[in-house]
Amino acid sequence: MKIRMPPERIQSTKKTMRFLADGTVVEWTPSALLIYGYRVDDATGSNVLDLLSSPLRRELEESQLKKACEHSGAMFEVLRHRKDGSPVYVTVAYQLGSDGITAMESQLEPRFKPDERMDFESIFREILDFTPDAIVMSSSTGEILHTNRQADAMFKYEPGELVGRSIGVLLPCHAISGYVALPNEHISQARSRIMGFGPDLNGIRKDGLEFPIETSRSPITTDNGVFVLSVVRDVSYEKQAESKFRGLMESAPDAMVIVDSEGVIVLVNSQTERMFGYDRSEILGKSVEVLVPMRFGSVHGEHRTRFFKSPQQRAMGVGLELHGLRKDGTEFPVEISLSPLETAEGTFVSSAIRDISERKLIEKALNERNLELISAADSKNRFLANMSHELRTPLNGIIGFAEFLGDGKPGPLNATQQEYMEDILSSRRHLLQLINDVLDLAKVEAGKMELIPSEFHFTKAISEVCAVAKPLLLQKYLKLSTLIDPGIDIVFLDQQRIKQVLYNLLSNAIKFTDPSGSIDIAVVPIGPDRIQLTVQDTGIGIRTEDISRIFREFEQLDTGASRRYEVTGLGLALTKNIVEQMGGQISVRSNQNRGSSFEVLLPKRQGEIFL
Amino acid sequence: MTRLNILAIDDNPTNLRLVSDIFEYEGWQVYRAEDAENALEIIDSKSIDVVLMDIALPGMDGLTLTRKLKQNSATRHITIIAVTAFAMKGDKELALNAGCDAYISKPIDTRHIVSEVEGIHLMATSEQDTTQHVEDGTSGDDAN
Repeated sequence: MKIRMPPERIQSTKKTMRFLADGTVVEWTPSALLIYGYRVDDATGSNVLDLLSSPLRRELEESQLKKACEHSGAMFEVLRHRKDGSPVYVTVAYQLGSDGITAMESQLEPRFKPDERMDFESIFREILDFTPDAIVMSSSTGEILHTNRQADAMFKYEPGELVGRSIGVLLPCHAISGYVALPNEHISQARSRIMGFGPDLNGIRKDGLEFPIETSRSPITTDNGVFVLSVVRDVSYEKQAESKFRGLMESAPDAMVIVDSEGVIVLVNSQTERMFGYDRSEILGKSVEVLVPMRFGSVHGEHRTRFFKSPQQRAMGVGLELHGLRKDGTEFPVEISLSPLETAEGTFVSSAIRDISERKLIEKALNERNLELISAADSKNRFLANMSHELRTPLNGIIGFAEFLGDGKPGPLNATQQEYMEDILSSRRHLLQLINDVLDLAKVEAGKMELIPSEFHFTKAISEVCAVAKPLLLQKYLKLSTLIDPGIDIVFLDQQRIKQVLYNLLSNAIKFTDPSGSIDIAVVPIGPDRIQLTVQDTGIGIRTEDISRIFREFEQLDTGASRRYEVTGLGLALTKNIVEQMGGQISVRSNQNRGSSFEVLLPKRQGEIFL
Repeated sequence: MTRLNILAIDDNPTNLRLVSDIFEYEGWQVYRAEDAENALEIIDSKSIDVVLMDIALPGMDGLTLTRKLKQNSATRHITIIAVTAFAMKGDKELALNAGCDAYISKPIDTRHIVSEVEGIHLMATSEQDTTQHVEDGTSGDDAN
């Protein structure tokens, strides 16, 4: 048979024991004592397999022993157990004799690698080198015992160069004390820490460059004491992403507050600091309720719980008046929108908060202004109604009794009395017209006069007005001619107001034209959408310097004339108002003593074109 | 010409006198009241055919009084004509909605108001008769 024993091993083989075919030990040498720890008294009489083999290997050893009994000199390498239970590798050769089986053994040195032995240390090294993270093993005092390939590469050291140095060389000065001191605490608590949020930490490379890292440190207890296994991760990329995120937060016009599911503030931007008057260090880690007025505090928590149940982007408290609470205790109105922020650490809520104090002020001012306008319009309308009532009440008595008296109901009047009565009665008409004009004008200005457009024949409306004015024309022997373009047909305007405009212009012309003069009315189309109405007279005319005044209320150009011609001073102002409200324009051309010409430009259809 | 019993209500003594004189001159029996309370006393004790109702009255206003009279079966046959200085747009509708049979604005036309009132009353009473025949059949009515 072949003996696979290398020559150098054979020399160290020594007689250790002799045992019988059934395994009973009959001789135990000092060499055996050295290898296995059993003394002669312990071993003699015992079964050799009971003494040395582990339960798992007993079968193997039994078959080896059987082989040995058949083939003297066969040699094995075998794993056995000492008296204290520790494993020991031995080379063994059995010699078969008449007095039993004699074992020649030697203990294998650790540097020898028997086939079935696992090299934990090299496997451990290999594992470390294949781990993507950098791993630094250090003693409890911070002395580096081992680094893996990634650690060397990350910190730019040669392999093994760091061993024996302080772990402090990998950290900036200010971080060393905290970092080195920390493992003791870890050790005493005897549990590992995971990476994650924590104080920002930088690593420092051999070339002096700093870079952001995250570490986790785990204590490892061995026979030689406690070691610290530090796993180091380069988080430059994550930091860049984070700084982009922070940049985004800072660039937002609103205060941004990021809160976890417990309502703890984890991130704020500088707008938040300004808006609420806090330094961010004062509110990070605090409950978001510090930013909410006390009276909302309790419901705020409930709302947050509900939000986390179905997180989705939405405006907060739609329709509610929300308020923020500043550090100084003052409150301000806010508008808030919420959106969920999914991260590896769980769901957060990101809230964008806008201070709407200014907007609220403007809103308030606008509302107040609106109310003022409404109440101004209301009081104007009320005033008009009262005015109308108050003027008509005494007028009723004056006119009524004058008529009653003039009609001779209480008894006949003499000629002079009758004449006076006629004067009173003719003044009555003028006064009533004046009151109606004033109220109409005021209504236009209060925006109360509604125009009700309808379709009607423009020509027909003109002839109706002329018929009404006919008695006045006849009284003064005035000649009226009308020239209406056949193209003028149906218009869509407020017929009543058009008649009022035409009547005002016509009666104005009649008043200011002396007997035997003439008045011309002309209507021509201007383009497809407009018409022009002209009322021209041969009256007293208007001085150039007065033309701009005639459309103003109560502008009677000449008190003498007004007495003579009996005008209210309101007709033209009212006419202008009506025309403009219809979307038209009115203008006048005049030469003193040679007559005036009023021109009205109107849309054919109200509301469809403004001139 | 029918001689009707008329009640003129107006808080302005001049206007009350004017309207009263006009109708008295035509031979009508005219009762006068300056407020709603006074008017109700007269309506209770006299047989009134027509009320000339001023709207602006101290205390109960004319529209409220009109509603009251029109809701009461004993008085709803009375023809009520608003005679008022409220002559703005919408005032006529307010008066008619309150139950007035007609509306006349001040200043009144003294030459035509009597025949106008007479016409309104004839129209109102004939309408009432028709309505009551429809509503009550031949049963007696409290309008007469």
